[in-house]
Amino acid sequence: MNIIRSFLLLFLLTTQVQANTIYNLIKIPNLAIYETKTQNKLRYLYAKQPFTIGVNNNINCYNSNKKNLDDKYKIVKKNLDRYNHKFLKKINLKYIVLCEDLSISKINTAGIPDHIMKTLILDINFNQNYFERVIHHEVFHVINDSYKNLFDEKVWSDFNDKEFKYAKCSTCTDKLGLDTYTNTMGFFTEYSRSTASEDMAEVFSHLMVGSNLENNDPILEKKIQFIIRNLQKIDKNFIL
Amino acid sequence: MINKIKATKSEKIIFGFLISLAIIFFGSYFLIKDKCLFVKNHDPQNISFDNPQNIAILNVPCGNVIIELYPDISPNAVKRFITLVSSKAYDDVAFHRVIEGALVQAGDLEFGKKNNLNYGKIGTGKSGLGTVNSEVDAPFDFDKGSVGLARKQKYNTEDSQFFILLKNEPLYETEFTPIGKVIYGLKALEKIKYLNKSQYVLRPDFINSLRMLIN
Repeated sequence: MNIIRSFLLLFLLTTQVQANTIYNLIKIPNLAIYETKTQNKLRYLYAKQPFTIGVNNNINCYNSNKKNLDDKYKIVKKNLDRYNHKFLKKINLKYIVLCEDLSISKINTAGIPDHIMKTLILDINFNQNYFERVIHHEVFHVINDSYKNLFDEKVWSDFNDKEFKYAKCSTCTDKLGLDTYTNTMGFFTEYSRSTASEDMAEVFSHLMVGSNLENNDPILEKKIQFIIRNLQKIDKNFIL
Repeated sequence: MINKIKATKSEKIIFGFLISLAIIFFGSYFLIKDKCLFVKNHDPQNISFDNPQNIAILNVPCGNVIIELYPDISPNAVKRFITLVSSKAYDDVAFHRVIEGALVQAGDLEFGKKNNLNYGKIGTGKSGLGTVNSEVDAPFDFDKGSVGLARKQKYNTEDSQFFILLKNEPLYETEFTPIGKVIYGLKALEKIKYLNKSQYVLRPDFINSLRMLIN
């Protein structure tokens, strides 16, 4: 029995010896280092070839040309430099993967956060109009995943009008617009109306880019204060 | 009457060639078999160290590997390492995970001992002293020869297992707890047994001994 178990375990432990360090660390293949010497110790990686990951191989992303990568890296870094190392450590974010045309089950997505692997995959081609805001939106998902207890969706949902209901998931709805409303009515964007966590991420990202904060309605004001209050529970020095 | 037959010139050349071939064949056999042949063994007694109290001597099949420990960078991890070294806990422990040209890993005190090797569980053993919190905040260049404590997927799970890098790994900074660097004898580690198809080594090489220079 022990021999069988030994063989089984050895079989499971048998990996490609040449598997690279990045794969060993974050379990995403075909990546290379873009930049590691950063002030906040974020490690920027890029897809040197397309990669497929996920339980059912349902997540795909593609490599980019150098110019696009260089251009977008500057934008991504400028925005992520606003989070210091201490905060990033608290939320468990360390690796930023830059690639193109990211999709889950063939649905395009801006980013895929994975706080367990300390990784955020970013689609550098996603919605160029709101690219910077989307970066912060995705960071919020990392924050939220790391501090589920703080960002209680029931409490959040109660801020809305009683008759309002979120969809069951962000892809279960066609409310995907990212244009900021002029008449907010409790929501910054159409996408905010999809789910509670997307709504929180939209509020957070709008706070980070400082857009349309003058026209707050009472519901939105409660949501903003909720986000600020809980961010300060994570790091009292966090600056929006 | 038997006539003495003299060897012709060409026969002498062929004979000489065969003798040379035999010498090369047997000579190569012994040379190739001795994997440590060109590895210099460093005697710590012949070296002067700035911080002799932080020097650990790892003796492996091809000789001594001299490691300088950095208690200023990772005080708790180095303390744990020295505690185990001082109790001779690493003697006869396998280099169970080896990636050619990348790293060697040893230190499973529970399932990696020569007299109690458990291939099914090697790499999961404990020291019995509990875990050590990760010390990953200080800047550290994880270049070739760097020594760090291994851990599970989560931080703060370091125990007795350690790795030594055979190449630069910049991504290891803030990922693993550094404890020191090899200052002499890296060649001896490059000769540690590895497999081509698995990071985990069957019939591995073992640590002969691991001691502090000054007890």
